[in-house]
Amino acid sequence: MKILAILLAFAAPAAALAAGSDHVSLASHVFVEHVKPGPGGKPEIVRDEPKVVTPGDRLLFELSYRNAGADPATGFVITDPIPASVAFAGDESAGAIFSVDGGRTWGPLAVLRVAQSTGGSRPAAFSDVTHIRWVFARPIPAGATGSVSFRGVVK
Amino acid sequence: MRYQAMGAESSAFVKKTMLAAAAVMAAGAIATPASAAGTTAGTTISNVATATYDLPNGGSGTIQSNVVTIKVDELINVTVAWHDPGDVVGPAGGTNQVLSFTVTNGGNGTEAFTLGTVAALGGDDFDPTITAIVLDTNGNGAYDPGVDTVYVPGTNDPTLAPDQSTTVFILSTLPLSAADGNRGRAELSATSKKGTGTPGTSFAGKGQGGGNAVVGATGGKGQADGFYKVLKASVAFVKSAAVADPFGGTSQVPGATITYTLAATVSGTGNIANLKVTDSVPAGTTYKSGSITLDGTALTDAADSDAGSFSGTGIAVNLGTVATGATRTVTFKVTIN
Repeated sequence: MKILAILLAFAAPAAALAAGSDHVSLASHVFVEHVKPGPGGKPEIVRDEPKVVTPGDRLLFELSYRNAGADPATGFVITDPIPASVAFAGDESAGAIFSVDGGRTWGPLAVLRVAQSTGGSRPAAFSDVTHIRWVFARPIPAGATGSVSFRGVVK
Repeated sequence: MRYQAMGAESSAFVKKTMLAAAAVMAAGAIATPASAAGTTAGTTISNVATATYDLPNGGSGTIQSNVVTIKVDELINVTVAWHDPGDVVGPAGGTNQVLSFTVTNGGNGTEAFTLGTVAALGGDDFDPTITAIVLDTNGNGAYDPGVDTVYVPGTNDPTLAPDQSTTVFILSTLPLSAADGNRGRAELSATSKKGTGTPGTSFAGKGQGGGNAVVGATGGKGQADGFYKVLKASVAFVKSAAVADPFGGTSQVPGATITYTLAATVSGTGNIANLKVTDSVPAGTTYKSGSITLDGTALTDAADSDAGSFSGTGIAVNLGTVATGATRTVTFKVTIN
């Protein structure tokens, strides 16, 4: 009896670990987009994964996820704080919500407001976004992959 | 520094109960970029995302993505603007005529600039003779002779922080031959000492913070033209004579009176100061006393409070300052001996 109880006590944390980070993975990629002359002289957008950028460069942030577990992943939420030197520039994947106050409150950008030093508040703009988040309404099926993305500009 | 602030947010996200308090702190720690020139060269951009999801036992799991780290290179951008409100007006032959320019470092790193000038430009009437480039040493935006320092290339090249501006003056001499209303153009240029080239040209390792220096949209060189305008008044003299003989005719016979008319017309821009009309009495004639008139008004021969005088050999009328567009007419009479 006593041995069984100890085994059970160990079993619960072990199960929690098994269903944890081993089963869902998240990868972050940042691409810089340059317009370069393509075949036939037509301008085309070239994507690189840069080591360095300069102010004004357009960046594409891509977050790829994978459910490597045997069960669907429910309550899946991806959150990305916008780096301080980057201004959010839109083009986000559908369903995103935003924070303009460092992650304290969240909502669609259209309903968020920013307090002004002169008193009152104004509607939030792209440049106010501090965090972007996707709350997945549906579970990620076992074995499924996907990605979300948004654009930013180097300030 | 910035990345640390975000790291604090990410870990706060795990501990949901602490989220609100930590996020407020983190928001305060994120420096507002004050620079229109952009993120300071050498700054690191780090992106890391977090995912949470339900665990089968009712808890919540959290994973972090890999961290993507990108460095911000130095962007070289410089602009020059002529900031006089309009053409700088000066007299023909005027020296130390001042054009004012603003040189702005629009890049994201501290940068030194070589200044240069060009006077031989098209689209103008004359080339000013540029005598000096002067730095606005006391930063008051106005040229102060003896206070502001004359620029010597390679010695006191202006060094500007991101977004910083400085005023630079061009001093010129305007040509004596310039006519009223003529314009002369002068250009000031500022060239990045790190290099120039087509936008996108990269100078490895030259950037502030150890990265590259990349030529921005301005090509690493900025320039602007300013204009001088010469304002000049000129005087045209017209002298005419009318003879009246004692017999009612116009024959030049002894005893005939000649009335000389001297018309001084000022044209151009501005006025002529201390304009004086003088004429000598021709040989073989005798000045007729008290015959000087100015614009129809008689003047005395004595050198006194009125403008006219007779010296014994010729007449003089002081017109003082005559404005452009005005004509002053002096007459006097002589008799043929």
